[in-house]
Amino acid sequence: MSLLLNEIGNGIFLGAFFGLVALGYSMVYGILRLINFAHGDFYMVAAFVSYTILGAVLVGHSHGQWFTVLWVGVVVMVITGGLAMLANQFVYRPMRRAAILSLMIAAIGLSQVLENGVLVTPQWGATYLVYPVTTPPSGFNLGSNHYTWGQLIIVLISGLLALGVYFLVGRTLLGKAMRAVSEDRIAAVLMGINVDLVIAIVFFIGGALAGAAAVMTGVYYGQINYLMGFTVGLEAFTAAVLGGIGNIGGAVLGGLILGIVQSIGTGIFGAEWAIVVAFGALVLMLWFRPTGLLGERVARRM
Amino acid sequence: MLTVVTGAATGGPASAAAKKLPPYVVGVPMPMTGAEAQAGTQIFNAEKMAAALVNKHGGVLGHQIKLIEQDDACDAGTAVNAANLLVSKGVQAIVGGYCSGATLPVEPIIARAGIPYVMPAANSPELTTGGYRNVFLIDPSGSGDGAEAAKFFKQQNIAKVFIIDDQSSFGVAIADAAAKDVAAAGGTVVAGGVQSIPATSNDFSAVISQIKSSGATGIYWSGYFSQAAQFATQLNAAGLIGPSGTAKLVVADGSVDATYISGAGAAANGTYATIAALASGVGNVLNSKADRAFNVAYHKQFKSAPGPYSAFGYDAINALVLAAKHVKSIKPARVIAGLRTLHFNGLTGKVSFDKTGNRAGAVMDLLEVLNGKYTLANPQP
Repeated sequence: MSLLLNEIGNGIFLGAFFGLVALGYSMVYGILRLINFAHGDFYMVAAFVSYTILGAVLVGHSHGQWFTVLWVGVVVMVITGGLAMLANQFVYRPMRRAAILSLMIAAIGLSQVLENGVLVTPQWGATYLVYPVTTPPSGFNLGSNHYTWGQLIIVLISGLLALGVYFLVGRTLLGKAMRAVSEDRIAAVLMGINVDLVIAIVFFIGGALAGAAAVMTGVYYGQINYLMGFTVGLEAFTAAVLGGIGNIGGAVLGGLILGIVQSIGTGIFGAEWAIVVAFGALVLMLWFRPTGLLGERVARRM
Repeated sequence: MLTVVTGAATGGPASAAAKKLPPYVVGVPMPMTGAEAQAGTQIFNAEKMAAALVNKHGGVLGHQIKLIEQDDACDAGTAVNAANLLVSKGVQAIVGGYCSGATLPVEPIIARAGIPYVMPAANSPELTTGGYRNVFLIDPSGSGDGAEAAKFFKQQNIAKVFIIDDQSSFGVAIADAAAKDVAAAGGTVVAGGVQSIPATSNDFSAVISQIKSSGATGIYWSGYFSQAAQFATQLNAAGLIGPSGTAKLVVADGSVDATYISGAGAAANGTYATIAALASGVGNVLNSKADRAFNVAYHKQFKSAPGPYSAFGYDAINALVLAAKHVKSIKPARVIAGLRTLHFNGLTGKVSFDKTGNRAGAVMDLLEVLNGKYTLANPQP
């Protein structure tokens, strides 16, 4: 029993990352019906950018300098958001009238460009890089599990960011514009909404969230690599589908469920079954609810 | 050389002999991108050094060595493409391979081409069970890793051992061998047997909870260094290892790398690793006169320290060259025969191969990380 509770705790932590990255997938899908396969690589680029900035502002390998990490995190969020906006401006926007499949292929291409771009950049390259800051091992015990303060802070920050997005989309005028563009782009234009600006902002928010997740990954796991975006992208995409792609709450819920199912799968069936259990759960869920847990009925639009 | 020069000077029919002999073309498949790129580059660099030295002294029977590198990305699919490309380019030997998973599927391709296949660092026990007569492992087969770890656990009175691999062919083979060795030494492999985690995973929390509930005091990781660093860091944060930890972590030789220590930081201290014993040194700290000279030369040329497997790459090229010189031919079949009977003193000690192509007379070392450095910690019998 205590193993189960511990695995749920582990899963929530894992799910916090999935959820943040899944939000970006889900928002872009919601507004463009595009599965942005390059999203995981925004996350990866953010990890490298933060690595370089932190390396420059911190000297040596040091523990928990929260304030510095915090402001670097914010800067990286802005940079990654900007990168996502640029991607939208130069890759996706010129293709707005193209078939959605062409956009997805463009997304895969962009993903390759970003990965190989990092690969050939001096100081970055193909090897594992050790992140300049790590979280100290001190923390608290819950059940027989030890959680570090870093983990707690990461889960809290993820929760706050997700809540922020939730309110932005649900309660503000900008959010209303986003929902309008998502529902009917042409009608939105006719109502005087600057559709291109709204889409750009959605990309910015998605990228910024991926940036935050990347800094937290670097700080907690301590290593970054130019292929790290692929795995996370896949898991986050799964989380977004599980929760109902296009739905803000669904992305976070999907992330948490995916994290918990994977952790419990490891605890009960062994680590080699974790992914089988997670994807098995996804298949089962989609069987009964093809639109995902909180998904809207948008399937007919595709 | 002298005869050739006089022949040319006299302008007789011997002038044809002055024409340069064709190069001895050697293919080097190695991870140059991806997580293992660093190790791949460190080995290839050492191979370049060895080849340059041989070329400076007249090459192999007058043939200059030409190394053709291909990235295998530590990936089975990429490695097969790389091997096919090298074979189609007409290489006369293959000296490469770091990840066993990228080496196993290549074996039949190289065997069909009928050329020698000398592996500097790949060492899954499966590599020499295929019956290929052209395969030679410079790095002793990994089956010794598990035995050394089992010996250590027994000596530390650790009965419950948690074994986990990274689902790579190297990791799985060594983890399975280690499980047998632990059982043979009277220990128990907990959690119902060997556990596996995907090589792309960076979160071990679920596994760590499993370890805690299993009550294991010995943890054996059979995978590569980048994941090992994250595993050690998270084990340390969970309080399982480290100053107040209840368990001891031993990692297999794929995890011996300076990046393991820099990645895990303080968490690496007090963890153990098994690796084939080198001539006279510890891990990447080679100590004999030849080794020191090698370290200096490597540093001078590449502006960085050699990796733990650089010396194996150096010896791999020299094994090929000496075998060819011994049989006085660079014909692939003859060189294979030469490798079978080869004996020489390399940077990594005495090099010779048994019938299956494994390095003969391999001795394993147990290393402990102390103050951020590998030190020798062989358990006393």
